[in-house]
Amino acid sequence: MRPLFARCADKTSALPGVRVERTANIPLAAWPVARPADRPRVSARRFAALLIVSACLSAALASWLPLQVSIVTVFLFAGPHNWLELRYFLMRLPARFGRSRNFFAVAFAGIGVLTLGYLALPALYYTNVWSGENWPVAIATWNTLLLLWLAALVILRSKQSSRRDWSWALPAAFALSAVNWLAPELFSLAIVYLHPLVALWFLDRHLRRTRSEWLRTYRRCLLLLPLLMVGMFWQLFGTPSLADDNGLAWRITQHAGGQLLPNVSTHLLVSMHVFLEMLHYGVWIIALPLIGATGAIWSTKTIPLARRRGGFPKTIAAILSCSLFAVAVLWMGFTLNYAATRDVYFAVAMAHVLAEAPFLLRMI
Amino acid sequence: MKRTLILSTAICALLISAIYAFGDIARPKVSPSPGEGKIVFHTSLLVTSDSKASEARLQISQETLKRIREATADASVNESLTQRIVHSSTRTMMAGVFMFLAVSFAGVWLARSSQRRGRKAVAAVLLGAFALGAGAIIVRANAGPPGYLRWQGLPQNLTKGRPTGGGVQIEIVPGDDGMKLIVPLRIEEKSSEE
Repeated sequence: MRPLFARCADKTSALPGVRVERTANIPLAAWPVARPADRPRVSARRFAALLIVSACLSAALASWLPLQVSIVTVFLFAGPHNWLELRYFLMRLPARFGRSRNFFAVAFAGIGVLTLGYLALPALYYTNVWSGENWPVAIATWNTLLLLWLAALVILRSKQSSRRDWSWALPAAFALSAVNWLAPELFSLAIVYLHPLVALWFLDRHLRRTRSEWLRTYRRCLLLLPLLMVGMFWQLFGTPSLADDNGLAWRITQHAGGQLLPNVSTHLLVSMHVFLEMLHYGVWIIALPLIGATGAIWSTKTIPLARRRGGFPKTIAAILSCSLFAVAVLWMGFTLNYAATRDVYFAVAMAHVLAEAPFLLRMI
Repeated sequence: MKRTLILSTAICALLISAIYAFGDIARPKVSPSPGEGKIVFHTSLLVTSDSKASEARLQISQETLKRIREATADASVNESLTQRIVHSSTRTMMAGVFMFLAVSFAGVWLARSSQRRGRKAVAAVLLGAFALGAGAIIVRANAGPPGYLRWQGLPQNLTKGRPTGGGVQIEIVPGDDGMKLIVPLRIEEKSSEE
């Protein structure tokens, strides 16, 4: 069977009956429906009901037992959601970079440099290279590099189409950098809370391409999100802070911003953060793989880089296998020493947070 | 003319005489102000009751005590967010540089954008204004509601044996009067019917 991208007729190709299409214009058929009769017939109403029930259940669980739910969800879903993200990104990589070569070069270079920088920060702190006073400057510098990298990606993406002019990204990045330098730790905390919402944007773009009939329903359901957050704020605002007398509870509350916002109940902060994380895990583990997917998720036939002539099927399979092994190691680490494994995981997981940016831009 | 001159002279004489009048007022006595405390950092405090305890106890975590020691040992103690920004020249300068760059590049973008993109230009200006406003709010505001709101339930909670938590500023004061906890309670005076 010929690869998907070569099926269409090419006006310029020397080979008759072969047309090359831009990857961005090809519908997301990587998980195509084999036969229309096999496609599960779920109405938009049932989809909306599933979304609403899931969101309400997540908010209720996160509000009721924030620490316990945080521990359980990270243990169960952190590794698998990273693996599924990797699989999705591999599927979104074009078979040949072509005009997107510069974009992906900047993307991968940025992911590498920023991840190494992020990992180096605490290491340099513990070796006393940074003093306590310079810590905000170090964080602000890293945040500034992140913002400039994002601006570069946005501008490079806009140059791939003459109809787009996204040069406003540069003044926006500078403005956000200014805010960042005023309060770098709060800016980093804002990233912690905003990152889970990026998955909702991915789902929006994915629905636009594969299930456009559900898109309007999905966007209406998104209106429930601020209502749920306001409701959680109203209910949990006056609650006493969580007891953080052990190392793990202290880590969880600090991750949610307990030290940066001492006037806000850590019960509220942790609940809000856990709720957003559950939405994030739900999108990557359940929604995206199920919507429009057929075949096994471990199959590499739907990955363009593995499928094309002269591709890398064995390399892609090895990457996916090693990633599965890493998930198993992560579970073992959580079982043996949850707190330490959690620290290591959230440091290394910055790479997946960064990787979401270029792939989301490719879908816009 | 003569009347105007006389009137002006009389007014000036009246005004000049006021200087002598004020000059005769005794200077306010400057009472020696008590030693002012220095806020070293902000953390959280939980006030709870224990019916079985015989003495009041103030439990300080090791991390908090460590921070108190570090803060008092260091001249530039942990200050409020506003004070940290104001006293951090590096961060203030960098924020100013990036604000300047943002306004400059936004101006260039607005000048180059066509009339059809007027709405986008307005959105960009609003975004810039929002960023500046957010920065001002972050500098000037303390995250969360005023601290005293969290302590309003303290009397009832103590009666019912429930804990009450909120923010607390650790303030080091001169002297040797032990420790004092000042709780921001807004007490409503009940009008008594006589």
